[in-house]
Amino acid sequence: MVGQRGWSYRGVVVLFLAPSLIPLLLFTVGPMVAAAGLSLVRWNLLKPPEFIGLDNYVRLVGDANFRAAVINTIAYVAGYLPLVFVGGMLIALALNERLRGLAIFRTAYFLPVVTSWVVVALMWRWLLDPGAGVVNHVLGLVGIDGPGWYNDPVWAMPSVIIASAWKDLGFVMVILLAGLQSIPDEYYEAASVDGAGRWTRFRHITLPLLTPSLFFVLVISLINNLQVFDQVWVMTRGGPAGATSVVVEQIVTNAFSYGQMGYAAAMSWLFFVVLLGITMVQFRLQRRWVTYG
Amino acid sequence: MRPVSRALAAIAATAIVVGACSGATSSPSASTDASPSGGAPSASAPAEQVTLTYFTFSAAPDHLADLDAIVQAFEQKNPNISIEVQTAAYTDYFTKLQTQVASGSAPDTFELNYENSVAYASSGALLDLTPLASADADFDPSVYYPKAYEVFQADGRQFGVPEQFSDVLLFYNKDLFDAADVDYPDASWTWEDERAAAEKLTDAANGVWGHFQPIQFFEFYKVLAQNGGSFFSADGTTSTFNDAKGVEAANWLIGKLDKTMPSDAFGPDQDSALFKSGKLAMWHTGIWLFPALADVPFAWDVSVEPGNVRKAHHFFANAVVASATTAHPNEAWAWLRFLTSSEEAVTVRVDASWELAAVADQSLFEPYLSQTPPDNRAAVFDALADIVTPPVIEQQSQMQDIVSQALEKARLGQLSVEEALNEAAAQVDALLQ
Amino acid sequence: MVELVRANSLAGTGTRKVRWGRLVSRTVIYAALTAGGLAMIFPFLWMLSTSFQSAGALLVPPPQLIPSPIELGNYAEIASAFPLWRFLANSLGVAAVATVLQVATSAMAGYAFARLRFRGRDALFLLYIATLMVPLQVTILPLFVEMKYLGLVDSYGALVLPAIASAFGTFLLRQAFLGLPRELEEAAFMDGAGHLTVFRRIVLPLAMPAIATLAVFSFVASWNSFLWPLIIVNSPDLMTLPVGLSNLQGRYATAWNLLMAGSTVAVVPILIVYVIGQKYVIRGVTLSGLKG
Repeated sequence: MVGQRGWSYRGVVVLFLAPSLIPLLLFTVGPMVAAAGLSLVRWNLLKPPEFIGLDNYVRLVGDANFRAAVINTIAYVAGYLPLVFVGGMLIALALNERLRGLAIFRTAYFLPVVTSWVVVALMWRWLLDPGAGVVNHVLGLVGIDGPGWYNDPVWAMPSVIIASAWKDLGFVMVILLAGLQSIPDEYYEAASVDGAGRWTRFRHITLPLLTPSLFFVLVISLINNLQVFDQVWVMTRGGPAGATSVVVEQIVTNAFSYGQMGYAAAMSWLFFVVLLGITMVQFRLQRRWVTYG
Repeated sequence: MRPVSRALAAIAATAIVVGACSGATSSPSASTDASPSGGAPSASAPAEQVTLTYFTFSAAPDHLADLDAIVQAFEQKNPNISIEVQTAAYTDYFTKLQTQVASGSAPDTFELNYENSVAYASSGALLDLTPLASADADFDPSVYYPKAYEVFQADGRQFGVPEQFSDVLLFYNKDLFDAADVDYPDASWTWEDERAAAEKLTDAANGVWGHFQPIQFFEFYKVLAQNGGSFFSADGTTSTFNDAKGVEAANWLIGKLDKTMPSDAFGPDQDSALFKSGKLAMWHTGIWLFPALADVPFAWDVSVEPGNVRKAHHFFANAVVASATTAHPNEAWAWLRFLTSSEEAVTVRVDASWELAAVADQSLFEPYLSQTPPDNRAAVFDALADIVTPPVIEQQSQMQDIVSQALEKARLGQLSVEEALNEAAAQVDALLQ
Repeated sequence: MVELVRANSLAGTGTRKVRWGRLVSRTVIYAALTAGGLAMIFPFLWMLSTSFQSAGALLVPPPQLIPSPIELGNYAEIASAFPLWRFLANSLGVAAVATVLQVATSAMAGYAFARLRFRGRDALFLLYIATLMVPLQVTILPLFVEMKYLGLVDSYGALVLPAIASAFGTFLLRQAFLGLPRELEEAAFMDGAGHLTVFRRIVLPLAMPAIATLAVFSFVASWNSFLWPLIIVNSPDLMTLPVGLSNLQGRYATAWNLLMAGSTVAVVPILIVYVIGQKYVIRGVTLSGLKG
């Protein structure tokens, strides 16, 4: 390749990287490092912070609320990911065909993604109202006694999962659709000339060439949804009885309600290490299943 | 445009945007310099132009115009001071306020509710108003409702001025009472009277319930007091709310479920919707809801809540305070005083039904008392005869959550009432260390 | 579809059977998509409906999808109670600038990570991803202090600066660029083109679907951004729409009809951007013209 070495190449690298790297370092990495420092203090935000070394981390280990939050978070992701992946994939595949009214469908499926959680949470609470909500009404028609949904500690997390998967289907759809649209027609034409059927084409052309997008969706979804917060905060506030208490909800509550900013920072840094570990594993494993170019 | 040029242009544009923005904005709202204004100060007073920031959660959304009226009146009387109002919704207010205080950018003056004020005061974030109050020749603290003024003192220092107060009453649907031929609640009622009436009024098959009372920290410490119990021991070092009286009080709250009180109306605004649709006969809730219930299609009124061993009623108060780091303590004091006790401010509040100013002169409330519904607005002040203030510790929010969650577990049947209260008491005691 | 029919007739299967099968599967797909689409639109319809309800309307199930009486005044009311147009303009300006900058910086960095080789590349990319792993609520305090020392509290600059770089966007475009076949680029290099030319003339056009997608996401993220604008902005003049609308939530009761009116207003610009963006998510340039 032309210009692989030498100062002009370095210049090229700097040119391409600097516009995003410099702001990133200044406005994101910097505060992150500062937050690491915050994890070593006790601070209620109103009086000066007090250095306490690693006490926050020690305390974390024995915190039952934190443990419960971690378990809830894992349960949430385990329920959410399959729903949103399969659903988003199916819709993207369907919309990849040349159908009439494509644009309308695409807009419809993207609408929940852009609507704020304040609206969506309210609507789902009302849909899932145990007494008069539509869902239990329909269930009653087929003879099932609908559960208490948000009011029920057992069903509260599934309620959050369903609402979240529903809202994010459009996000997965958009990404996978862009990936599908980037697969050149020529590949499909060549394959059908060779006599390949639909399923074969999907398995040997679509799926492999979609793996970079799938990888992206997987990594981003894990990172984002292990940090699930907005919907829990607006729908259930971590209740009932802590059934939907998740890690970021604990972080925020500790930071701004309980005056435990240092403890919250320690929580988020511990969680950061876990997230980083998971992501690194995913990057390692990608050689096995992701095909590029 | 070639890519290099495009990249450079982007970087240049960014630099310009940033430069323009930081240059064009007003100085950071954290009150610091008293920069002289463009206009000449009045010839008589050498006072410099001062801008005070005031951060509030009670103005938006319904009372922005009312607050503006008060600000205008103040600025007219004090031409050298201008007030910059900043608002946030209550749910977001403390996140923003704490961030500002933590980074040394606290607003000059701001609002606090009683439960949060203790942590702010004990952390040294608030200006001690005592010297300013005593230096103020024509200020008489007795203009305020005594209890409201006292609760915002700590260690003999005054750190806030009471701005509003509210309490909780028993709202009742007169039409439902008439239909069931039950006597209206009155000041002599006890828990037993309420329960008996609720039984007659409940018609679960038709979705009509006798009463609703929230099951959380605030209701709990109140019914505890009504039952003669106390939240903490006399020296304040241990929790005593899990004793026999506490268990009884919690059982009063929880025992009603599914008999005379719905068990699925704990979501946001659900109890409100139930009452407004005429399906709830009695409702323990706050006087701040008077305006919201003005147009319901049935007759309703209020009464003081029943007690058990004794009567005890909520007393919620908000104060306005000044930041310890404000550069303009004197002006801040003038504004705080005006905002809370001037005739103009009180009149605006009363006319707008904007909670109640915490002043002692009852005659100022004539317009408020004569509004209907409800007819028995006097109950608002009758309740002040037996008040119980919230138990407050430095880790207030944590304690409230512990108690509310314990009650929730008991309500859901995950723990027995005794177990739940004991667990909560142990956790609260740990906080008291 | 035409190719498939031709291919299958070449293979010897009956075309009539294939056409009938196609029709059934198409109908099923349409039906499923429509049902799903309705489920997706439902909250928007409900939001719209509530925005036309009067103040006393209850938010109890069962809901009335058609409000009665229909109240047209809510939109006017929020416009008069708040500087709604100002909020909209602020949100629009900030989102537009942030989107342009994010797409530009992410494309460049994405290209660097996908196509350039340099020492520490993978570690640096991991750093980018790592910045997605700490919640804003924890970094917001140091960031606020930083803005204070830069003198940017309560300024447009503070709203835009943290949004210039996007690890999400860099990751998205890196994946998109990695998925492009290298033949075109290699051919261009052999013809003497430099990286900038290849980036501009080959990579960007081919990855247009992903770039358009990123533009839409960046816009949405900036438009709906709430916590940072809440903390950093004090003056109503600089407030963005979500923060402005949050003031409609009273402490004890919220005027849902007004809030829904505001939320509807907030959704419209995003939809416009999305519809426009969709036009660019088209099938990429075909390879046929470049063979041989």
